[in-house]
Amino acid sequence: MIDVAQLKAHAKGLLEKGTVRTVFGYRKSTAGLLAEPAGITEAAQADDLIFDPSCVQNLALYLVNDKKHQAEKRSDDKRPVAVVAKGCDSRAITVLLQENHFSRESVHVIGVSCEGTGVVDARKLARKLGNKKALAVAFDGADAFAVTTNEGTQSIAAAEVMAERCLECRSAHPTLSDVVFGEAKAERGLHTPFQAVKAKIKESEEDRWAYWSRQFDRCLRCYACRSVCPMCYCDECVVDSISFVIAPDTTAEEKANRIKWIERSPAKSESAMYHMVRAIHLAGRCIDCAECERVCPVNIPLRLLNTRLEMEAFETFQYNPGSDPELPTLTSSFRDTDPNSFIR
Amino acid sequence: MTKRTGVFVCHCGNNIAATVDVVRVAEELGREEGVVYSKDYVYMCSDPGQSTMAKAIKENKLDGVVVSCCSPTLHEKTFRDVTEEGGGLNSFRCEIANIREQCAWVHSDKPKATEKALKITKAAVKRVQHNQSLTPIGVPVTRKVLVIGGGIAGIQASLDLANAGFEVILVEKNPTVGGHMIQLSETFPTLDCSQCILSPKMVEISKHKNIKLLTQAEVKEISGFVGNFKAKIHQKAVYVDPETCKICDDCAKVCPTVVSNEYDVGLTSRRAIFIPFAQAIPATYTLDESACLGLNPVVCGKCAEVCEAGAINYDMRPKVITEEIGAIIVATGFDLYGKENLGEYGMGRYADVLDGLQFERLCSASGPTGGHVLRPSDHKEPKNVVFIQCAGSRDPETHCAYCSKICCMYTAKHATLYKHHVPDGQAYVFYIDIRSGGKGYEEFVQRSMERDEVMYLRGRVSKVYEKSGKMIVLGVDTISGKNVEIEADMVVLALAMQPSQGTADAAKTLKIGRDKDGFLAEAHPKLRPVESVTGGIFLAGAAQAPKDIPETVCQASAAASKVIQLLSKDELMHSPTVAKVRLSHCTGCEMCVQACPYGAIDLGAPSNKARVNDVLCEGCGTCQAVCLRAAIDVKNVAQVQIHDMINACLGV
Ligand SMILES: Cc1cc2nc3c(=O)[nH]c(=O)nc-3n(C[C@H](O)[C@H](O)[C@H](O)COP(=O)(O)OP(=O)(O)OC[C@H]3O[C@@H](n4cnc5c(N)ncnc54)[C@H](O)[C@@H]3O)c2cc1C
Ligand code: SF4
Ligand code: SF4
Ligand code: SF4
Ligand code: SF4
Repeated sequence: MIDVAQLKAHAKGLLEKGTVRTVFGYRKSTAGLLAEPAGITEAAQADDLIFDPSCVQNLALYLVNDKKHQAEKRSDDKRPVAVVAKGCDSRAITVLLQENHFSRESVHVIGVSCEGTGVVDARKLARKLGNKKALAVAFDGADAFAVTTNEGTQSIAAAEVMAERCLECRSAHPTLSDVVFGEAKAERGLHTPFQAVKAKIKESEEDRWAYWSRQFDRCLRCYACRSVCPMCYCDECVVDSISFVIAPDTTAEEKANRIKWIERSPAKSESAMYHMVRAIHLAGRCIDCAECERVCPVNIPLRLLNTRLEMEAFETFQYNPGSDPELPTLTSSFRDTDPNSFIR
Repeated sequence: MTKRTGVFVCHCGNNIAATVDVVRVAEELGREEGVVYSKDYVYMCSDPGQSTMAKAIKENKLDGVVVSCCSPTLHEKTFRDVTEEGGGLNSFRCEIANIREQCAWVHSDKPKATEKALKITKAAVKRVQHNQSLTPIGVPVTRKVLVIGGGIAGIQASLDLANAGFEVILVEKNPTVGGHMIQLSETFPTLDCSQCILSPKMVEISKHKNIKLLTQAEVKEISGFVGNFKAKIHQKAVYVDPETCKICDDCAKVCPTVVSNEYDVGLTSRRAIFIPFAQAIPATYTLDESACLGLNPVVCGKCAEVCEAGAINYDMRPKVITEEIGAIIVATGFDLYGKENLGEYGMGRYADVLDGLQFERLCSASGPTGGHVLRPSDHKEPKNVVFIQCAGSRDPETHCAYCSKICCMYTAKHATLYKHHVPDGQAYVFYIDIRSGGKGYEEFVQRSMERDEVMYLRGRVSKVYEKSGKMIVLGVDTISGKNVEIEADMVVLALAMQPSQGTADAAKTLKIGRDKDGFLAEAHPKLRPVESVTGGIFLAGAAQAPKDIPETVCQASAAASKVIQLLSKDELMHSPTVAKVRLSHCTGCEMCVQACPYGAIDLGAPSNKARVNDVLCEGCGTCQAVCLRAAIDVKNVAQVQIHDMINACLGV
């Protein structure tokens, strides 16, 4: 069982000694069940930290954002930042390391174990509870959550209310960390990996096209999915002309050569292209934290798109994003053993 | 963006005009935005065609030119030269729209082909309108050549180059040069003795002042580019100083370890300290570390004790040698197809089933039997010998799909030689068909049938097995339609030739391509047969495809002359269509660095962003495809150009 007191003590120690600039962790939210991300800089704040199945967010995003803020502030504080990372989050940090987004020394990874279950899916839980309102959720052994509602505490089988991605998770324990709290549980295998996408693929092409047409038609192009994704860290997004950076040294020629691959209107065709390009750009990089799907205001099943490519990466190239910071990235590397039947 | 574009549409006689309405293409293109001149002409590449083009560029003050014609590999250079020399316009302002190979030749429906030709040409117009003027990059050359592999191919190429005054580094992985040819007894079609014609060349290699021979060495790393390569060569420790070694054989006599002798393909054995054969070059004994009882610490030490010349030194260590060279010839040769793959023919199971090279050794005066054909099992003269052709060749289901080309000839040679050695014996040859193209080849095969009464049986052998102590060859004679069973005293398999392991290794180190069968890939199967796709790397010998000695020598000399041509200039011109980084967009993710097949990118100061070495970059565009941030573009194939070209094709 993960001992949150130890986690707090560790964070406190880091901040007291001043070895890190900030600790990104989770604290109880003032609104709703899910925890909220917290960037704490004072040792005293460490007492607020929690870790339970409500800690769904991928905090790797805050490392990316922090880097931007530091650059904007022109800060010369070179101390590392600490971050609390579940298995999936640690894979995200690994991908960012592979891409030189920051150096290994600049981040202190506080790994946390998902305790053989995973995190909760708030929508599933609400459905399960009906009229009752969840106030808190805790780990309860290897296959249940203890859910506290306005009517008391009850134990619910984790598999019923767990996040979809956790059901399919292949490495629930951090793959990269400086310190870990909680034990590594044997791989759970609740669902077979890629189960959802494999089921989808079985449908006929027409059915799938109809399905995705409907989904893309609903997309608002609010870009929440992109904002929450730790891998979508480009300053300028090739498929979003609003993001084009015009700096004082941008030449007229550069301005003229900007390509608008996609129109800004959220028409179906443009949204479809947006999602397709994003999915391709995430091939071998998406670590299935499912944050994009969680934050989408209109419930677009983005995981299905991203895991489709993740599955391809795994089944064709045995590539598991975020498993090893020393590995070259999927799209930039070649091994002699790679299948090449498509090269003629 | 340029605005005065000219379009020249070529008929290529009827090659294009028969399938594409070229007049319409020229007319419609004339109405495109920015196009101020558009004309069709029967042969653009002819003299009058070229003058029309030069004149039009000048008279119309064109600032971009599209020639709609054949593949750029054929005439891009022609038309770029006309643009610059005749028209006074930078040659990189000229682009080719390939409407022959990519359109006329692959279609038959004229209206549809015309539509496609229009799209291809319109796209090229869009592209050229964004083109920049560029200047080729001049790079000095190193006038030294690396030859990898010391078989007849490597030997011939090295001698040609050395005689032309170039310095040569010849790297051979075995203890001696000579390759497979030095193992052969006599060679078809004239039956001259292989050693007699090869060993003078080997001696010349060792004596030539322009050749530096490195045996027991392998190239481990190549960096750089045409004209300026850098090679890292690893040379094993040989433990015997070739200068002092007297070749007295005292050491081998006392050496207690016995291993199989590679030179005799396992038919004899040798010691851990040995000389491969009397004429080996370099002429010295060498210590095979893997067979020695132990050197670190010295376990046995007998050889050094008896060596009066004091040539043996156990403290020698492997060396890493770095060489700068301008060009490379890969001549890494072949291996025979693994006998373990041919269990049905009893190879490896029966002592008297041999491969072709072993049979060469049996016929050779320097071989294990002193030039008498005797069975390895009991040293008796075999009276019935069955030769099986295409063992592993021409069998796409289970073995190699290709024809090994030389086996028909050497099998005829083997049968003939056998009859010379054992006049009262009978030779049988199982064949699929006889391929004897070549000067004097067909006559040679006919002679073996008529004069030496070799029995040719058309058909495959299904298996070789043992029955009461006798080997039985079970086959089918497709001409008589009968099954045949031959009691054989010896069976010789003409195993397929396959690219050597060293060829695979070299291809990997040099990053050059191989074909579907693993042979080194040439840049063009007809017009550039001795060049690899990488500039400055040339191919010779059986590493490129199965071939016999005359063909190997031809290719080796051809490769040498290509190198001489390359290195005769003081400066090489490198294409300026190289990648360029938009530093503002680069995040330094290193993907392009990893993806670049030419090692042309690294991350550089001050902000650890991508940096392209213009001289190494081949403009292949891999980086462009891999960069998620569109931060890297190849000049004159920039993304905005690709975007506009796609739109032109889509008609939007
Ligand atoms: C049984 C048999 C009989 C034949 N009889 C005839 C005949 O009668 N007439 C005829 O014209 N042809 C004959 N041939 C064909 C002839 O042997 C070949 O054409 C010829 O040997 C090809 O020469 P090569 O230099 O290309 O290759 P090889 O002879 O294979 O030489 C390649 C050399 O490169 C070295 N090497 C390989 N990899 C590396 C590396 N990575 N680094 C350094 N060195 C390396 C090898 O050690 C070897 O020394 C016969 C072939 C066989 C198998
Ligand atoms: S998928 Fe959802 S989160 Fe992403 S842009 Fe569309 S509506 Fe917004
Ligand atoms: S695409 Fe979605 S699931 Fe994948 S890393 Fe980004 S936010 Fe996480
Ligand atoms: S791939 Fe793009 S962003 Fe990454 S280092 Fe290369 S140019 Fe820069
Ligand atoms: S275009 Fe890019 S990938 Fe290709 S050689 Fe040049 S730098 Fe390397």
